[in-house]
Amino acid sequence: MGPMSQGKRRFEELVLPHLDAAFNLARWLTRNDHDAEDVVQEAMLRAFRFLGGLRGEAKPWLLAIVRNSCLSWLQVNRPAELAGFDDRAPEPVDEASPEMLALRQCDRRMLNEALAALSAQFREALILRELEDLSYRDIARITDVPIGTVMSRLARGRRLLAESLQAISNAAAPQVHK
Amino acid sequence: MTREEADKLLHVYVDGELDAAKSLELEAHLAGNPAARAACERLREMSAAIRDRADYHAAPPALAARLRASVPAAPERAPRLAWRLWLKPAAAFAAVALLTWIVAVQTLRPGEDESIAREVLASHVRATLANRLFDVASSDQHTVKPWLSARLAFSPPVADLSSHGFELRGGRLDYVGGRAVAALVYQRRQHVIDVFVWPIETQKSEQVSTHDGFNIERFAKNGMGFWLVSDLNRNELGDFARLVAAAP
Repeated sequence: MGPMSQGKRRFEELVLPHLDAAFNLARWLTRNDHDAEDVVQEAMLRAFRFLGGLRGEAKPWLLAIVRNSCLSWLQVNRPAELAGFDDRAPEPVDEASPEMLALRQCDRRMLNEALAALSAQFREALILRELEDLSYRDIARITDVPIGTVMSRLARGRRLLAESLQAISNAAAPQVHK
Repeated sequence: MTREEADKLLHVYVDGELDAAKSLELEAHLAGNPAARAACERLREMSAAIRDRADYHAAPPALAARLRASVPAAPERAPRLAWRLWLKPAAAFAAVALLTWIVAVQTLRPGEDESIAREVLASHVRATLANRLFDVASSDQHTVKPWLSARLAFSPPVADLSSHGFELRGGRLDYVGGRAVAALVYQRRQHVIDVFVWPIETQKSEQVSTHDGFNIERFAKNGMGFWLVSDLNRNELGDFARLVAAAP
């Protein structure tokens, strides 16, 4: 077999199985199906070209490429959103753990809305952790920050999410106000 | 442990990433602190809510098809023309080669599996004879998993099956088939069950066998190969295998 078909086989065995994870991340970062498709297509072709540089596990390696493709895409198409990836996001208002009543009552739609509204750095950390079940080490590698930053982003992200669910459920049921 | 420290470590603990020593420390703190326990429970709920209710956006099927079609054309095209001439005979040759390969693999694989079965059995017997069952002793999956993950190139799935009568006792590192693997140690009555786990490339079929009075069960799930070894009877080991396979 020639080098080309070997590359294709390696790609199909190592990279393509993670296509869903790639799409899920791109979809949560671009928040749009159509844009996610463009980004993933571009990222997968990049992955194919750089396949020779793959050492270790393919999934975090691929997701790092997908994330970079998302950033480049946002830079061109929605530059304002790049700020969400920086460490300048709002501190949680409530330092005590917020009530989880809102969490118990929230439905799928509310949770998805709240998650989509989170600042990108928290959104990506939570998606990689909870939906892709990746380790702190892998998340640190993909998002290009130290493990300590992953820990604090997950902690703050969860707290912000709880707050925002609380706000959504208060807005949905104004009579709850005391 | 101070409250601030406990608060900080709680997320790490719930994520199963806290090392064994710190986990024990935190668990001691939780045991004497109902408020911290409640906070831990809330965090678990939050994590579960995202896992259960957030949308997982799988790639549209058309995208996969498009990628398969567009990928080979991407880099170095040079060999393509020469290829075309050879395509038909090459395809025929490839088909024959593939067939030969499949037959060879089917006949050869038992030999390879046989040697792995011997290795996991030897490891199980050594560990039970020498009473060196685990490197990390804990009934908490959130202690065992991070301990193993920190020392291996992969993160083995560790399930809590105590409600089904299979107690997690701990885990150890071992060396099977030329690689470092995780060995999870469970107990059913007086029987010790070793679960060897490591990442595999090709999914193998399930298989049950008996060696020297020990039952060995093998299956694969999510890219991980599992080998179960125990002197437990075959039926119960089979039940256990199904529970492990079904665990999230």
